Amino acid sequence: MYMSVGAASPSAAPSVAPAKQSGEGALGRWIREHRGRGALEVTIIFCLLQLGCILYWAKDPTKFAYLSSANLSVMSQSIPWLGMLAIGAGVLMIAGEFDLSVAMNMGMCELVFIRWYGSGHSAWLCAALSIAIGIGIASINAFIVNTFKISSFIATLGMGSFWWGMQNVYVGAGGSSPTPRIDDSKVSKQLKQVITAELGLGIRAQMLWLAGVGLLVWVFMHRHKLGNHVFAVGGNESAARAISINPKRVKWMAFAILGALAGLAAVLQAVQQRTLIPGSTAGYELEAITGAVIGGCSLRGGKGSVFGMILGVAFVKTFQAIVLLSSLPAYYLKLFIGVMIVIFAVINQYFEGKAE
Amino acid sequence: MSTPLLELRNMTKVFGKNTAVNDVSLSIGQNEIVGLLGDNGAGKSTLVRMMSGVTPPTSGDWVWQGEKISHLTRASTEALGVETIFQDSALVDKMTITRNIFMGREMTNALGLMRIKKMDEICSSILDSVVTIEGIRSPRQLVGSLSGGQKQAVAIARAVHFKRTLLILDEPTSALAVRATEALLAYLLALKAEGVSSVLVTHNLHHAFKVCDRHIVMNHGEVILDVHREDTTVDQLTAAVVGGRVGLADYASRGRIG
Repeated sequence: MYMSVGAASPSAAPSVAPAKQSGEGALGRWIREHRGRGALEVTIIFCLLQLGCILYWAKDPTKFAYLSSANLSVMSQSIPWLGMLAIGAGVLMIAGEFDLSVAMNMGMCELVFIRWYGSGHSAWLCAALSIAIGIGIASINAFIVNTFKISSFIATLGMGSFWWGMQNVYVGAGGSSPTPRIDDSKVSKQLKQVITAELGLGIRAQMLWLAGVGLLVWVFMHRHKLGNHVFAVGGNESAARAISINPKRVKWMAFAILGALAGLAAVLQAVQQRTLIPGSTAGYELEAITGAVIGGCSLRGGKGSVFGMILGVAFVKTFQAIVLLSSLPAYYLKLFIGVMIVIFAVINQYFEGKAE
Repeated sequence: MSTPLLELRNMTKVFGKNTAVNDVSLSIGQNEIVGLLGDNGAGKSTLVRMMSGVTPPTSGDWVWQGEKISHLTRASTEALGVETIFQDSALVDKMTITRNIFMGREMTNALGLMRIKKMDEICSSILDSVVTIEGIRSPRQLVGSLSGGQKQAVAIARAVHFKRTLLILDEPTSALAVRATEALLAYLLALKAEGVSSVLVTHNLHHAFKVCDRHIVMNHGEVILDVHREDTTVDQLTAAVVGGRVGLADYASRGRIG
């Protein structure tokens, strides 16, 4: 390593373009700059998986109806809400924290939406309420983690159980109150159009919501200065603090983003399903974290890609479709999720070491 | 005598039952390079963290150009033009060089969106003009892929780029090669000519003696010596650093003062 001082004047600053490796093309440079940073590896593996599925479908479309409109409809309805949870979980993982209560947060938001919308309130008001509750619940987690400096893993594990119980309290489970339900006739045509309309080939409008949210969060995380602070805090909290970034504020912001996305995911699922049994969202947190890990998020914080998180969820749902279409037992999906978390954590760690 | 740039008055820092810094008072003058010396555990790094506003003192005053700053934070010292190179470099391995250099001070448009291309260009010019570091291919390279010396050079480049009034360097040369160290020391003199004061924390007394106008020696959390360069020698400083208060007797016997 050689460091020299630039001439006599410290303020001299000639502009110099970044050095390139000799003989390296634009593609080579792009690959070198993106290797091990989140999305590149999962994109390649995802494309290979899709290619395999399409080839298998082409071989016998009746036996493996992967590109049928029915399957595309199912996938395009299940990917968006889980994608939003995964984006939220991923943003929080980049900030160096976890939220194991996100599934119960979503369930609480969904129950409130179903009950309020079912009572005839405006859809926009109910959606805003759902998002506000999501942010509120996540903010309580942020407060506990920031104030008492306990592991978010433990804090949110406890709060998840709390909100599971609260869902039952809210619907009056065990009492005379029935599980909240929105009568199909009460769901406005406009709301159905906005959220569940079929765009063609069975693909549903929820995918547009995911694309919009994904783009928004991508711009925030990868192009906005506050997103840069999230990466800084997750990557090295003490370094961020030394450069006058407030880690508590940044972590609250990451929790709030997760809460808002849990609230929005709740709205999408509520309009689609129109009812929810309290506690039935259990397990979504694992799927969301799986999506984020497959998408390249580092379990130690400071690394991840919004595009990768969406691909990670698509990866999970693709495998779910494979299990369903192949008539395999449902527990194969559980096997897959467990194995995938470990495999992709290893892959990510390996490529992280190769990153430049 | 002109008003000092920075004064620390009766600064104390207690961690649990341990007093890391005990009733320290010192000043940094305008256009002055001050060496902060001492053995391991002397309290230098804690003092640096209080000086730069990262660690709040348990008691004591932080006075800037005669004005006491009541709510001391990193943001407030940064606003006054204090830049620090921390011992651990304070870099994020998983971020690019550009994002590390502009961390917390990103160049943005009105919406807060970063001007990444512009930051990359400036980063290239900083790395090339302030410090030229061999082996760095691109400002988009991850800091984690750099060597220890390269990381330290990036931390120096960041502090130097944003320097305005006071530069605090905590062991900046510990991972640098000989030529790079010489370059950094020369650079501090060049900054001084531009009106930028520096505090150089180092174990290497020869480095300190070469560029510092004044030397402050700490031992067990206290300042035991505050002396101008022309009134001391490297041998005397060594006696004070190694021997602490006991060494001060030896110090007096060796030299020009006492």
